[in-house]
Amino acid sequence: MTRFTKMLIAAGLGAALLAGGSAYAYVMQDAAAQLRATGQVGERFDGYLGVAGAGNAALRAQVDAVNIQRRAAYTQLASQRGATIEEVAAATACQLLATRVLPGQKYLLADGSWRTRNGNEPVPRPSHCG
Amino acid sequence: MTRMNLTKEGRDASRLWMGRIGRLGLAAGVVAGLSACVSVAAPDRPIEINLNITIRQEVVVRLQRDAQELIQNNPGVF
Repeated sequence: MTRFTKMLIAAGLGAALLAGGSAYAYVMQDAAAQLRATGQVGERFDGYLGVAGAGNAALRAQVDAVNIQRRAAYTQLASQRGATIEEVAAATACQLLATRVLPGQKYLLADGSWRTRNGNEPVPRPSHCG
Repeated sequence: MTRMNLTKEGRDASRLWMGRIGRLGLAAGVVAGLSACVSVAAPDRPIEINLNITIRQEVVVRLQRDAQELIQNNPGVF
């Protein structure tokens, strides 16, 4: 087997894994909530999910699958409203941080540090939310 | 004698370049093949955290209701 053939097989396997991850996220109706409930995944100030800590490859693949769908949704709304994708994502982050992060779950603010929501204390509102 | 040497060198040089061009073509083919695989496997992946995004605050505030609807209309994604 040549090196090129091996590389092709590796690329194919990678593609299959990614496709499997996307299909998994699609099947799961509440993928984002379930990922947040693991305690290893949190909401970021920029409107995307992030892995807090080391995580693992499977977790990162699921987070990526959700984020790809989020970016598609942000892109569509941005074109409808004459805003940038980043602005739509940031606006959505304001809502997500305020309503979707449950007590004990993780969130990331613009200072770059992951925090855990303490009891019923509200998540601090990022400055871009106005 | 000198002419013979020159002719010989010229033939060697053209062979050398043909070899180089051949290898270059093969490398280009490999790269093209790999990039085709990658583009199928990994579409646009928003995994980088960019702390320097320029966002207009008044636009973000104006988009709050839209964002709320976006979240409600896409269960599982948010």
